[in-house]
Amino acid sequence: MDCIITIDIGTSAVRIFAFEMNGNAIGFAKGSYPTFHTEPIYSEQDPEQVFITVLYVLKNFLTEKINTKKYKVAAICFSAAMHSVLPVNKNGVPLGNAITWADNRGKKEADDLKKLPLAKTIYDATGTPIHPMSPLIKIAWIKRHDKERFSKTDKFIAIKNYIIQQLTGECVIDYSLASATGLFNIHKLHWDNNALAYAGINADKLPAPVPVFYSSLHLRREYQVSLGLPAKTKIIIGASDGCMATLGAGVWGEGKATITIEQSGAVRVAGNKMIRDSKQRFFNYLLTDGYYVSGGPTNNGGVIFEWFAKQFGVFNEAYGIDDSIHTLIKEAMQVPAGADGLLFLPYLLGERAPLWNANARGAYFGLNIKHEQKHFIRATLEGILYEIYSIGKILEEHRAFSTLSINGSFAVYPLWAQIIADMFGKPVSVNNSYDSIGTGALLLSQTEMGVYRSLEDAAKAVSLQASYHPNKKDHQVYMKYFSVFEKLSHKLKDEFEEIALLQNL
Amino acid sequence: MINGQPFTLYPGDTAIVLPHQEFGSDKGFLDLGTISWMAIQPQQFSKNGQLVPGPWSSIPANECKSIARLLSINHVPVLSKLATAAHIFNCLQKEINGQEIGYTVRVNQLIDELLITIVRHLTRQNNLQRDFPQTFMKLEQSLRNNLDHQWLVEEMAVIVGLGTTAFTEKVKNYTGFSPLHYLINIRIAEAIKLLKNTSRPVTDIALETGFYSSQHFSTTFKKLTGYTPRQFRTNNTRKT
Repeated sequence: MDCIITIDIGTSAVRIFAFEMNGNAIGFAKGSYPTFHTEPIYSEQDPEQVFITVLYVLKNFLTEKINTKKYKVAAICFSAAMHSVLPVNKNGVPLGNAITWADNRGKKEADDLKKLPLAKTIYDATGTPIHPMSPLIKIAWIKRHDKERFSKTDKFIAIKNYIIQQLTGECVIDYSLASATGLFNIHKLHWDNNALAYAGINADKLPAPVPVFYSSLHLRREYQVSLGLPAKTKIIIGASDGCMATLGAGVWGEGKATITIEQSGAVRVAGNKMIRDSKQRFFNYLLTDGYYVSGGPTNNGGVIFEWFAKQFGVFNEAYGIDDSIHTLIKEAMQVPAGADGLLFLPYLLGERAPLWNANARGAYFGLNIKHEQKHFIRATLEGILYEIYSIGKILEEHRAFSTLSINGSFAVYPLWAQIIADMFGKPVSVNNSYDSIGTGALLLSQTEMGVYRSLEDAAKAVSLQASYHPNKKDHQVYMKYFSVFEKLSHKLKDEFEEIALLQNL
Repeated sequence: MINGQPFTLYPGDTAIVLPHQEFGSDKGFLDLGTISWMAIQPQQFSKNGQLVPGPWSSIPANECKSIARLLSINHVPVLSKLATAAHIFNCLQKEINGQEIGYTVRVNQLIDELLITIVRHLTRQNNLQRDFPQTFMKLEQSLRNNLDHQWLVEEMAVIVGLGTTAFTEKVKNYTGFSPLHYLINIRIAEAIKLLKNTSRPVTDIALETGFYSSQHFSTTFKKLTGYTPRQFRTNNTRKT
């Protein structure tokens, strides 16, 4: 029987899924790789270790779950984390580690560019907010501060391009991943001249952009042998993880939004128009030509609740953080909506959307003598979700939506899901599939192979159930506190800057 | 001063000084208070993870290896408020002064007990056992810094402060690999970089990245990548 393999090269791990042609899941495997912080604001990965991990997991997975069973691989489709930059020389050999999305070394370059009118021109053309995460800024940083590496670089590619190049020998980038570089004109589908000029490179320093359905890729003979795959195995280049997750959540067209909360989080909508926010707060990435996934990312998702658990949770066994988190959530349920007036600003890691302020910091506000430990738990959780809501609220000024779907390991905790429904005052449905990125890659492959006529039809196939209905009374409580939350987040701007300077982070 | 670094000891603290390290006060006298000390002279101790205490000890050889590894990568020789250690010191003193029947057996057991207490305390002190990703990252760093060492799972588990079974399960859950397979990932990744970026002989690269021999390296490499190291190097140093 034919099957489809999806490979997601994520921030910390590769996740591989196999599906039957009708979409039934066959199996899953993962393998993680480290992120190095040689400086506090640096965030790097070893491209060779990522590649070896992908290869190792894929090989074991094929051997154990696919080749020995009755399955034949009809297609392999890729997705990956956005914004990574890997300089390679003329032989395609990496010049050092890849710089990941979380790297902030280009802070000054981003701040400087934002002050120029050019920033708006580039944002309008590329859809990517001007931020250190953007490869546009990272390449400009390398040109200014790492001249030797810059001069040796033949191409600036992404980790995903490197893995595909190793497997197939071809160095190309899909429109979707290209659209997250800050260098790609998302309207005209080529590298943007203004952005290239700012970064200080020519288009030949970047891989050739191809559509997300591009499948003229062939496994190198050695890998055909070692992986046990026939030469004609179809390899689809695929899209970015964020766009795949949006497709996998069934979000297509007006009226729908999706919320992802893993370590970080995002609120996304999709449509055939870019969102032109005057404050450049939202990203616009291509799912495919003419189709934009727009939204805002937050740094402070589940990672903040984990931080709280590590500091204040009860650990009954070594490293038992999952248990600790469950216990905290249970305690939070004993506190009414609004945490009896205790508010939490979750900006421990600075913040991207909607504040776009790297200096933002956390705070508990409104403490009174009646507050107990459990109020802190509830407030922490609510603070993380007020932040998510603040992205959604501004996003809705551009694009109305009436239903929400949620995914990601934190968002799907029942209490979190209910609070999301209550804050937004909208029904919330949970994705039936446990991994919306894998589902998105499956739908894209099925569309390429003719199972669906279009991605739109494919998105409609995602079945969702409205599992959480908003509670009107709680909605009103949250809205009153949110107004304070929002005001605080802006009012503290000067103090955020002052404290960040003192903390020297 | 221990190993060239100054430390302040408070009542109840325990300091460990390894055979190759120096200790003493730079002024030639103690500032304040008293210290009790004991020298254990092992038959063998080396920085790269060799510890043979001698026939008096009943700690198994493989555990001794793990203890040696942990002690030699430890940078904080002071264990704060280790009451058990003080208690063992007291018992040792009583046994040695009293020389009652069976005292040699007791003394040997007490020194083993002291070693085990110190090792367990070290692993707890070095990490709070809350943040596995962070602890694992530290272990990763130790593996990378000593890639040519023939790591045992037991040694890695001691560093993280878990039993071998619990450790293996945690690593599998977190990384998708068994500890030794994860280590192979690091080894191959480092070897690939050396193959691509240097012209060093394959045998040197194999040994430096922790493979037993160039044969062992080639077999592992080919099984995973489909290429022999030499083919791989040729393929990646010319323009494709």
